[in-house]
Amino acid sequence: MAAAGVQLHPACRVRQEEFGLLFYDSRGPRLLFAETGTMLPAEFFAVARGKRELPEGLAEREQEKLEKFVNLLLEKDFLREQPLC
Amino acid sequence: MSNRFVEKGLRAPVNLTWEVTVGCNLRCRHCLSSSTTPAADELSTQEALALVDQLHDNGVFQVNFGGGEPFMRHDFLTIVDACHAKGIMTCISTNGTLLTADLVQRLARNRLVAIQVSLDGAEQATCEEIRGAGTFAAAIAALKLLAASTIPSSINTVLTAGNAAEIPALYELAQSLGVSLRVSRFRPSGRGADNWEALRPDPSQLLAFSEWLASSGDVRTGDSFFSLTSQQRQGLGLNLCGAAKLTCCVGPTGKVYPCAFMQSDRFEAGDLRVSTFKEIWDNATMFKSLRQLRIHSCEDCRRFDQCHGGCPAVAYHLKNDLEGGDPECLERCVTAIVDDGMKASAA
Repeated sequence: MAAAGVQLHPACRVRQEEFGLLFYDSRGPRLLFAETGTMLPAEFFAVARGKRELPEGLAEREQEKLEKFVNLLLEKDFLREQPLC
Repeated sequence: MSNRFVEKGLRAPVNLTWEVTVGCNLRCRHCLSSSTTPAADELSTQEALALVDQLHDNGVFQVNFGGGEPFMRHDFLTIVDACHAKGIMTCISTNGTLLTADLVQRLARNRLVAIQVSLDGAEQATCEEIRGAGTFAAAIAALKLLAASTIPSSINTVLTAGNAAEIPALYELAQSLGVSLRVSRFRPSGRGADNWEALRPDPSQLLAFSEWLASSGDVRTGDSFFSLTSQQRQGLGLNLCGAAKLTCCVGPTGKVYPCAFMQSDRFEAGDLRVSTFKEIWDNATMFKSLRQLRIHSCEDCRRFDQCHGGCPAVAYHLKNDLEGGDPECLERCVTAIVDDGMKASAA
């Protein structure tokens, strides 16, 4: 069985803003303002990723924060689960 | 949502309304842009495609096409295709009269499009009182074609005095057709200004609609009813005016405005034939002033966090006062009804 990953929902988009990431869901439409600064680039969500796959070089605390954030995005349906082939 | 993320100005709007033509085959009484025949100097195909490139380069997520009737433009599909090729999502507002099975099939090839068909009554007579003869059947036919396709589709109804009582029936009609319902706010711009007194919903209708909305979570209103949004719908939409902060409007000739209801010289932010989209979005004095607009007169209101003063376009059109707060917000509707009741009992 393929491992579970996450990917931006097809109805959603994300871009970098000064404060961090701005998520847009055309189904609402609704917005999510994430104060991630430059920790997580918008391009990170362009392809399917492992749930715990995060950019390299982050401190442990930042990693924990980002893992929680990815789970929040899943919960709020901005991301969806996707098999990693 | 807090103002703090948007008051400095985002790098681009999240979405924008693009009125690709002022030409229309209908003469609806509430038309926000007084659409008739196409303007002589509407953007050419080349100019329109160059704008799509700019919107993509700036990170705009979605373009909401309107007009006029967008399908009146011979090159409209070329413009829509260009958006999709860049990954820009689109939503097309149409009166449905020009939609054919072939056209729907062609549009359904791409999953980035959604379509709204205007229908202003659950009854033919109510709808046609506003939109003209033959419009009800044409819209229903278009909605049936869309419902049979993969395109996310909706009925778009402008709430007026004449159709306010039919909104629940429109919801049922939408459900029976397999589409969703979106209700938009009637604003006094374009022909809507000429027919304002005849078509405007009264405060009791607005209140009744607000209560109905509270129990109808799957009805979409975009941002147009945040001034009427009850506590039950918190989180379903915006709680402030997004004009110049989250959205803007491009007119048929390339002029840029804060929103579709502010398409006048007074609110012109720039001209795409003179400046780039980025220059206008970042630097237009009009946009900067709207980003800094604070409706101080509403700050003591218990609902301030829910609407931040409501729709400046309505405030401007009705009171010529951008800073005066929305004259038709939920709080003022209640006050108006109480005042009328007191006058009646005093008489």
